[in-house]
Amino acid sequence: MASNAVTVSPSREAVRDPVLLLPLAVACGLAVGWLGVHEGVAGTRIAVDLALSWALIAASLVALERPRWRRARWLLAASSFALLAADLEWASSDALWTVGFLLEGLWVALLIQLVLTFPEGRPWSRPAHLTIVSAYTVTLAGQLVGGLLTPDHRDLLSVSSHPSTAAAIDRAQAIAGIGVALAVLFLVLQRLEAVRGPARRAQAPLLLAAAITALACLVWLGRVTAIGSRAPTLETIARAFALTIPVGIIVGVGWSRFHHPQASELVVELRSEAAATMRERLARALGDPTLDVAYRLDDGRYVDAAGRPIELPQREDRAVTAVSIRGEEIAALVHDPALLDEPALVESVRATAALVLENERLAAEVRSQLAEVRASRGRIVAAADAERRRIERNLHDGAQQRLVTLSVALGLEATRADKATADVLSRAQDEVEQAVGELRELARGIHPTLLRDEGLTAAVEALARRAPLPVTVESNARDRLPDPVELAAYFVVSEALTNVVKHASATQASVMLEREPATLRVTVTDDGGGGVHISPESGLSGLRDRLEALDATLLIESEAERGTNVCAAFPCGS
Amino acid sequence: MQKRVLIVDDHQPFRAIARELLESAGYIVSGEAADAAEARAAVAANAPDAVLLDVQLPDCDGFAVATEITAGDGPMVVLISSRDADDYGRQVVACGARGFIPKSKLSAATVAALLE
Repeated sequence: MASNAVTVSPSREAVRDPVLLLPLAVACGLAVGWLGVHEGVAGTRIAVDLALSWALIAASLVALERPRWRRARWLLAASSFALLAADLEWASSDALWTVGFLLEGLWVALLIQLVLTFPEGRPWSRPAHLTIVSAYTVTLAGQLVGGLLTPDHRDLLSVSSHPSTAAAIDRAQAIAGIGVALAVLFLVLQRLEAVRGPARRAQAPLLLAAAITALACLVWLGRVTAIGSRAPTLETIARAFALTIPVGIIVGVGWSRFHHPQASELVVELRSEAAATMRERLARALGDPTLDVAYRLDDGRYVDAAGRPIELPQREDRAVTAVSIRGEEIAALVHDPALLDEPALVESVRATAALVLENERLAAEVRSQLAEVRASRGRIVAAADAERRRIERNLHDGAQQRLVTLSVALGLEATRADKATADVLSRAQDEVEQAVGELRELARGIHPTLLRDEGLTAAVEALARRAPLPVTVESNARDRLPDPVELAAYFVVSEALTNVVKHASATQASVMLEREPATLRVTVTDDGGGGVHISPESGLSGLRDRLEALDATLLIESEAERGTNVCAAFPCGS
Repeated sequence: MQKRVLIVDDHQPFRAIARELLESAGYIVSGEAADAAEARAAVAANAPDAVLLDVQLPDCDGFAVATEITAGDGPMVVLISSRDADDYGRQVVACGARGFIPKSKLSAATVAALLE
């Protein structure tokens, strides 16, 4: 094949955002740090807050390589700045203190929103949504109410000083915080259990970090509730644990990147015959067990590897990536949308898989055409059967009716006529009856009524009774089968018995109808001389199309002196 | 006493010849019907002793009609068809009919064998 230019349609959105925030975050951090030092705040606390704030910004920069994490990036940056804003509480200025006091818990609510909406930016579930709303209510509304009543002289919002009420509000806030932390812990553990495939690689570190942080907060808030004060050491420790959240995001991205196989490994993987199907090889290469491959036919339809038509999904929980050669789409990968977070991996698989997929596509196209041919043959056989039914019915209602009426009339007249005339009439009646018999036999051969009304076993038993030699029938196929299967099986028995009578010089024959879970097996055996050659013009050969339309197989064994054995197997569901 | 027989068949020439045959054999033909609906009405109106019933009716399966009219104190039914009894399998015995006569074998003797 000539050079194969593999097109890679760019799916990554243009990235601008938080890069500009980096110098701003550094500057704000340094300013807040200086403020802390100036106001005599504990060095550990200053260090933890600065580390956390900058780690959040760093995580938001790392998340830049994930196009779908846009909202997560902003939440990380917002949380970083909200944390610095809360540290304005360290200032001696009343205004700055009040701002810091009001925003004290905002960064926590932002982080909870980040975790419970990660990575797409939508809450995972209704309970997750409620937990986020509760987090904002507890942190913002709690601080506002507390601000109105706090006895602190720097509080510009204070309308009256109620130390005991303010302390009660603090405690209530801590208890509500415990509730939120428990909810976060439960939701995160649930998510950790549920998330699979490529999404797990990217999300598991963050989820683990969130669970650890929620536990640390529970310990801290439990202590606050018990002793009724802020427990500053535990608070600093809880903040230090929160550092694991941005670290979790960075680790998740790194882990996914580490998982990328190299292009050369992919070629080996995708061309190896070890995995059963191309789908499995791709699923393994991309780490997405839910991956499906849809091959695009020239007419724009999609089929699976077996050639069966399929529709590309248009659901939020499935993503579609096109694979093209020389600008022409040859296949679509249907996969977990989390793979979109790893565009580099998808690109390399797409580029490597294109050639192999082209071969698979051609095979799928052939299978699809075969399926169409088979379906069309099925329709032709079905149309022929309908025609057979019509002809049988017409014979019965027309010629047969008139001939039997004539026969009865001749018989009646014979009873009234003189002997000589009666003899003539009786002979005429015999002739007519013979014609009726032959016509009946012809009609049965065209489409047996008994098969339609009573099913295969009854019809084959009737065939056996009419045969000019003893024929035994054994059957466990008592239930009805699809019409085309019954008719084809009946014709096999009928033609095989005709052959026995014509060629086999047999003294007896047997028919077996065996119903297995997914197959009907029809066997006709005789005790004749064997060595029978089935010519292409014979009735059995004439059944070829009918049998192939049903995916049935026909095996004829006829060794000299060992009788003839005709066996047909029809696939049919239970 | 002469038996009263209803003939049910959608082929008019056959009904005519069957009527002639039955009458010449000493039966009274109480009526003729061309389909199942007419047959039910005629059984209800004339209460025949026997019904000569074609298996293949235009509006209904003859076996179903036989099952219906032989229920209770209904008349006896003799099925007729231009096909063989063998073409119908167990239905012939299952429907409650007195017997089956292939149409081409219909004669005073075959009818009498079943009705007398």
